Amino acid sequence: MANKLSGVLICRACQGIALSALTLLLTTGVAQAQSLEVTNARLSLLPGNTPGAGYFDLQNSGDETVTLVGAESPAFEHVEMHVSSEHNGMAHMHAIESIEIGPGERIEFAPKGHHLMFLRRAAPLSEGDKADVELKFSDEQRLPVTFDVVSPASL
Amino acid sequence: MYKLLLAGLTTFLLAGCSDQSWRTTDIGDIMPALDFSLTDEEGERVQGEDYRGKATLVYFGYTFCPDVCPITLARLGDTIRNLDDETRDNIQVLFISVDPSRDTPEVLKRYTDAFGPEFVGLTGEQAEIDAVTNRYRIAYDYGEENENGDYLVSHSSAVFAFDREGQAQFLVRDSHPVSDAEADIKRLASQDG
Repeated sequence: MANKLSGVLICRACQGIALSALTLLLTTGVAQAQSLEVTNARLSLLPGNTPGAGYFDLQNSGDETVTLVGAESPAFEHVEMHVSSEHNGMAHMHAIESIEIGPGERIEFAPKGHHLMFLRRAAPLSEGDKADVELKFSDEQRLPVTFDVVSPASL
Repeated sequence: MYKLLLAGLTTFLLAGCSDQSWRTTDIGDIMPALDFSLTDEEGERVQGEDYRGKATLVYFGYTFCPDVCPITLARLGDTIRNLDDETRDNIQVLFISVDPSRDTPEVLKRYTDAFGPEFVGLTGEQAEIDAVTNRYRIAYDYGEENENGDYLVSHSSAVFAFDREGQAQFLVRDSHPVSDAEADIKRLASQDG
């Protein structure tokens, strides 16, 4: 009986340790995710299969640099990161592979600058809908963000 | 007395200026009248002279452009919506595609409808597009295709403005304050035909 009881106790202790370890692992992930905050996420939708643009603000409140390397959305076949620029009266756009956000830094994906380019709609979307997007970081971290689907006229 | 004279002179000069020049870049003497031979979004052949009778804003872009083109058109749309009804009837925006292989009349029609009834999409053969871009001394350039067959196009960021007779008036650049562009567009659309 006493043996049995101590066995149960030991077992409980094991569970406790395992649980603590798991909690620790989880909190590390959550801590990173919590240090990143996305606000003002909007998806500018155009008719037909015309690509859309994604705009948002991303704040890194953590103490480590994070690298945004792309995004995915079930509503589109491809999502690319682009930057628009103007030089000598010409509007240019090019794809970028990654963008670093330093500790305490905030970046804006905004009209005529950095933006996500949403290509080939995979699901029907219309203004007023919400679109699920995951921002992907170089450390395999993924940050789910809900974008408001809007008309470019509202930006 | 001196102050009064100075104030009077300033008023006179300002009044004189406001009758003459645009706040954005005046192109009256350096750009030719509105003229082209293209295909409209209904698939009809059209000439520049078909658009006389209204103030006309012209922007060169492409529909595969998710950022700069829709933002530019949306801001023009905002400016137009802020005009009173009568003035709004006196203005139109021509979106001339520099990417005719993707921008068919059907694609353009769906695209311009998103910005308002004043917007008309125009496309054409490459040589026809080149004739228009050469006429207004602007360039465009195709980027390389990526693995999905997509390509980007560099294009002029300016908006050209013509009066009801199709005479070139002013050019709005990215660097111009929005308030200057709005004031010029409003004045152009309010001019008596």
